Amino acid sequence: MTTGLLDAPAHLPQITIGARTIPVQLPNPRDPRLKLSAVVVTIHVLGQTLLDWKVSIAQIAVSMVFCAAVECGLSFRSSGVLAWPASGLLTGSSIALILRASGTRHGDWWSLHGIEFFLLAGAVSLLSKHLLRPGGRHRFNPSNIGIVWCLLVVGPNHVFAQYLWWGPSRIGVSLAYVVICVGALWVLRAVRMVSMAAAFLLPFAAVIGAYALLGSSFVAIWHVGPVSGLEYWADIALSPEVLVFVFFMISDPQTAPKTARGRVAYGAATALIAAALIPFQATEFGIKVALLASLTVACALVPLLDRTVVRPGLQRARLHVRPVVLAMAVIAVAAPLDTALLAHNAQIVLIEKGQSGARTAQ
Amino acid sequence: MHADGAAAASGRQPVRATLALLAVVLSALVGGNAFGLRERAFGSESPQAHPVAVSRAAGGAAAATRTLLKSQPWWQAVGTYDGAASTTTGAFSVDGAAINWRVRWTCQQGHLEVLVPGKRVVSAACPGTGTAYASRSGRQQLAVTASGSWHLQVDQQIDVPLVEKPLPGMSAATEIAHGALYRIDQTGSGQVLIYRLPDGRFALRLEDFFVTANSDLDVQLTRLPRPRSTEQIKPAPRVHVGPLDITAGSLNMILPAGVDPATYRSVVIWCDRLASAYAGAALTQG
Repeated sequence: MTTGLLDAPAHLPQITIGARTIPVQLPNPRDPRLKLSAVVVTIHVLGQTLLDWKVSIAQIAVSMVFCAAVECGLSFRSSGVLAWPASGLLTGSSIALILRASGTRHGDWWSLHGIEFFLLAGAVSLLSKHLLRPGGRHRFNPSNIGIVWCLLVVGPNHVFAQYLWWGPSRIGVSLAYVVICVGALWVLRAVRMVSMAAAFLLPFAAVIGAYALLGSSFVAIWHVGPVSGLEYWADIALSPEVLVFVFFMISDPQTAPKTARGRVAYGAATALIAAALIPFQATEFGIKVALLASLTVACALVPLLDRTVVRPGLQRARLHVRPVVLAMAVIAVAAPLDTALLAHNAQIVLIEKGQSGARTAQ
Repeated sequence: MHADGAAAASGRQPVRATLALLAVVLSALVGGNAFGLRERAFGSESPQAHPVAVSRAAGGAAAATRTLLKSQPWWQAVGTYDGAASTTTGAFSVDGAAINWRVRWTCQQGHLEVLVPGKRVVSAACPGTGTAYASRSGRQQLAVTASGSWHLQVDQQIDVPLVEKPLPGMSAATEIAHGALYRIDQTGSGQVLIYRLPDGRFALRLEDFFVTANSDLDVQLTRLPRPRSTEQIKPAPRVHVGPLDITAGSLNMILPAGVDPATYRSVVIWCDRLASAYAGAALTQG
């Protein structure tokens, strides 16, 4: 999710450990990540209390603490500053917001079942942030690439993404929509991403509607029979999970283009990539991976968007084929390709029908 | 802060970036399950299809039908052996995919001892009865030492679906009701068909069905038109049709004498231990 770092203040407080004085960067009340964290934590509370989410408090806490500790350590190693790990905490809580370990049941509050997958996703998230830095900045949304990696590499036997349908509780789902929409206004205005969100949602809803009219369907463990027609459109285009993705994940200003026009192009491009990957998928698992992978691809394309949409008149810089650029290219190709291969996986259909694996309906 | 850090670490960046590239390429290959890498690392997710069972007794005709589905483990008869003195039984074969196998024994007098190769599974005074278990698959023989009459029943435990042929007399002309299984508390899919057999009995057939596996499931008829929840079904009058020891495939059941299916409007797969309705099917007469 949105994980940008603010500039460090000129004069930092310090702590002394032995003979060493270490500058400390405390949380900044103006940091927009605090707003986002508040929204994410509120959604987590709803998930635990009203939405019967299959993620434990222990999984959430360990994911957050692990990512915070790694972020803190990497940041200290590179800058010598002991910084409040706002990004790490947000990455950990975002992973726990979306990633699920098959077999975890709602109400197993302290279960560490499948915690290794949360840690793997967290490690990949933070490593991508600190290793894949062409031009000195990270290009991929950390939690997004960690979750996509986990879903594709670990696979549907062990992990899945939070369902598109958030359960039978009308009060719980209504409250979730209120939190997501109010939170979106609060967060998106602060990072100037409202137009980007609209640029995603409008074409995405239109294309998914076209797929529904053309007879597309998918199977999901929480639904009897295939989801098709109006349900297909509503369960994808209006899913709170999709809104969370658009409002709080795509909107990371650190990995998006810097200009308003670039951000609109970026939102529309992400929507079109998602729409291009979704029709191959006959399962909810595949659709969720397609959605998430669309952002991975879009992030890799941001430098191209910057050149072609934002500054088309600028002289093109020579393309240096370096390992980090190659890595980004491999990710941009492999994420959609591996996602497309899920369409041929018969086991996912059995899992979504509840006929195999450890997952259960909501 | 990050720019400073990046500058300080610039000397190490090519090495890190190369390692990151290798990790990305490896992830791409595993993510696409190239060369079966994901299955090797995280377990098989698309197991090989296996042949279904075609009878409650082993050794039936080889089935062309193959499936990925698994049933609740069930006991398939392998053979029965009787005698009145010490002997070695004929050879029998335990399926390589069997979970284990058992010998249910009874004896009338003296002492009974039964050995499978390398293991004594029964040593008991008679008269008596009991069950012994073994796990080695393949060709087996039982060495029996006895001084009186004895009876052995060998079964293997398997978890493949059972696909029984329709009973004689089950046809479109004799079908009197049908419905489709749907989920209530657990997964349920497939068709329910009820027939009047030529001898006047009623029979129920579950066709190409799957119900979430558990022990203690049974098939019941209710007068509810389309039951939707356990709470709705729990107080309703129901009649027991038969135990559902196999939870995938196609099965036949004879309705108990005196039960007229025309007076019932739905079928429920009920778990007595959990007091839970796993699945239901609304019946359409005719």
